[in-house]
Amino acid sequence: MVAVLLFVLPASAPSAEQKQLSIYGPRVSYSLPVSERNGQDYVALLEALEPLGSVSASVEGQKWKLRFKKLEAEFRRNSPVGKIAGQKFGLPAPFLLEGDRGLVPLRVLPTILGLMLPTRTDYHEAGRRLFLGGAGTRFTTDLREAGLSLNFSAPVNPQISTEPGKLKMTFTRDPVVSNASIPRLENPLVSSVTFSENNGRAELVVLGRTPLLAKFAAAGKTIEIVPAPGEARQSTALTTAPSTPASAAPTPAPATVEVPPIVPAPPTVQSLTVKPPFVVMLDAGHGGDDRGALLSETLEEKAVTLAFARRLRSELQNRGIGSVMSRDADVTVPVEQRAAMADAARVAIFVSVHAASQGRGVRVYTAMINSLTSKPGGFLPWDTVQADYVLSSRALADVVKAELGKHEIPNSELAAPLKPLNNVAAAAIAIEVAPSGEDVASVNAGVYQQRIAAALAEAIVVGRSRVEAQR
Amino acid sequence: MTRALAVATALLLAAVLAMGVYLHILRGNERERAQNLPDSRPISAPVPGPPSHVILYLAYDDPGAVRARDATVPLPADPAQRGREILHALLGEYVKRPSSHELPAGADVKDVFLVNGNTAVVDTTPAFAEGHRSGILVETLTVASLVKTLTANLPGVTRVKILVDGKERETLAGHADLECFYDVVAVEQLLQQLQ
Repeated sequence: MVAVLLFVLPASAPSAEQKQLSIYGPRVSYSLPVSERNGQDYVALLEALEPLGSVSASVEGQKWKLRFKKLEAEFRRNSPVGKIAGQKFGLPAPFLLEGDRGLVPLRVLPTILGLMLPTRTDYHEAGRRLFLGGAGTRFTTDLREAGLSLNFSAPVNPQISTEPGKLKMTFTRDPVVSNASIPRLENPLVSSVTFSENNGRAELVVLGRTPLLAKFAAAGKTIEIVPAPGEARQSTALTTAPSTPASAAPTPAPATVEVPPIVPAPPTVQSLTVKPPFVVMLDAGHGGDDRGALLSETLEEKAVTLAFARRLRSELQNRGIGSVMSRDADVTVPVEQRAAMADAARVAIFVSVHAASQGRGVRVYTAMINSLTSKPGGFLPWDTVQADYVLSSRALADVVKAELGKHEIPNSELAAPLKPLNNVAAAAIAIEVAPSGEDVASVNAGVYQQRIAAALAEAIVVGRSRVEAQR
Repeated sequence: MTRALAVATALLLAAVLAMGVYLHILRGNERERAQNLPDSRPISAPVPGPPSHVILYLAYDDPGAVRARDATVPLPADPAQRGREILHALLGEYVKRPSSHELPAGADVKDVFLVNGNTAVVDTTPAFAEGHRSGILVETLTVASLVKTLTANLPGVTRVKILVDGKERETLAGHADLECFYDVVAVEQLLQQLQ
């Protein structure tokens, strides 16, 4: 079961480098996968229009007819000509029809949206970022003695990763655009700030002369870059874990930990006795085709879980604990595959992240399974793998609950029949983040998520010794 | 034919044509609306039996709890049919509006099968899962309420399996496992946490 899965999973890890296009509108931001056909980049037109209004499409022989709001468009399979509201226009490559999905060349999408929407389109081709209706979040830099402030015109929610002397902020959902120029910074703390766009994302990289840390302020509109408490914290658990045989490596590894190879080494006496490094798997629930719960008209659970998992990853990094993500993009990852990835990577802790619109605070879950101790070295049945670890999971959940309480975040602890907790061979918990108050949107607020992520990371630090003892 | 008569005839013909097109659109809309309506027809004929006292374990979204409530339900003699009638009464509480734990219209139990005396297989309607709200807590409350109500009223049943429209389904609405057998002891422990 688990051992067999180790051999069949090499191609199962989600690719974070899949080509994507991000579209930013005044009310909605979303990403689309970009497919390559005959050396050209293509996108599905229906998926591009769906978040912008009512749209439907039908196939009639070789024709693909699309209706968006009151406008009608028509394309023909393998034809380089399209028609919108009776107006013909050329495509740089033929229109493709795959089943009932109509694919248009990426380069012509801004033209199509320009014809269909009564709004301005601004396409950043190199970064694959499309802005509609003047959408854009601008920022200014403010360098002080205590650190660098990045002030944004709207709240932002970037993924933050750090390496010694380097802090990178990646904006996927936020329409962050660069000012005309970023002033040159000469300071003992920060040496440069660079902005770039790539694959549907914007990146701000801050190079420092000392290890750096990012903090949110002003309800997510300001990011303060300050010196990290100590250089030692910059290295990950993969290099600091005392039980790791390879931890003698002198140079600290980057804080973002790669997924360990899925294909295992041939079983030897040594490989069975060496304890793997202490790594946490962060499982951002849902993703891709599975949007999870619709928390509000525009807020999908899959987006909240990914944003939260990234915050938790940063918090763990700041505490010297390595982590891997079951997904780091809006991609579909089957539920059981997430458990298989965790088992193959031999993680110490599995945290499944979910979000809900009901209730307040955070609910912490463990598997609804009875405890069991299997014979050492025996195969574990896939459906009840967690039985060997559930005591450890419950102990961790107790610590998480206590830490949330210390941070004054309402919380509760329950067992739940949640997939795939039963299939995880490690201490496994799930958290369900609910709003902080009446406003459902608060579930996605940067400051609120940061508080929870900090409490959770602290709990993992506190519970680490207990989990290690039971591995 | 005078010019006025010709114009009037043309206008009338145009009006007839327009009304015909309009009628066609209306029929299409009505057909589509009827197809999208939840099927509220009874799953099967009610089975007669004397009114009997049962305990329903009702879920409450706020504050996230399951509580016992007495009810009187006409119950037949056959245990499987009794199980179906009891769950029909339980889910009837959830499709009412307002409800302490709303389920979509059409959510119901199609059948209950007893296997080896200790395992109950509950077959639910497609609407039970398709229209269920998504979330760990709401889905857990539904499963716990259903399993506890069934096992409390059918002595000897210790395991419950939930099917949707006769088929196994991975999760109820993205979270709660529907591929497993629910063990009455584990559900009992969960209910204690939900008190």
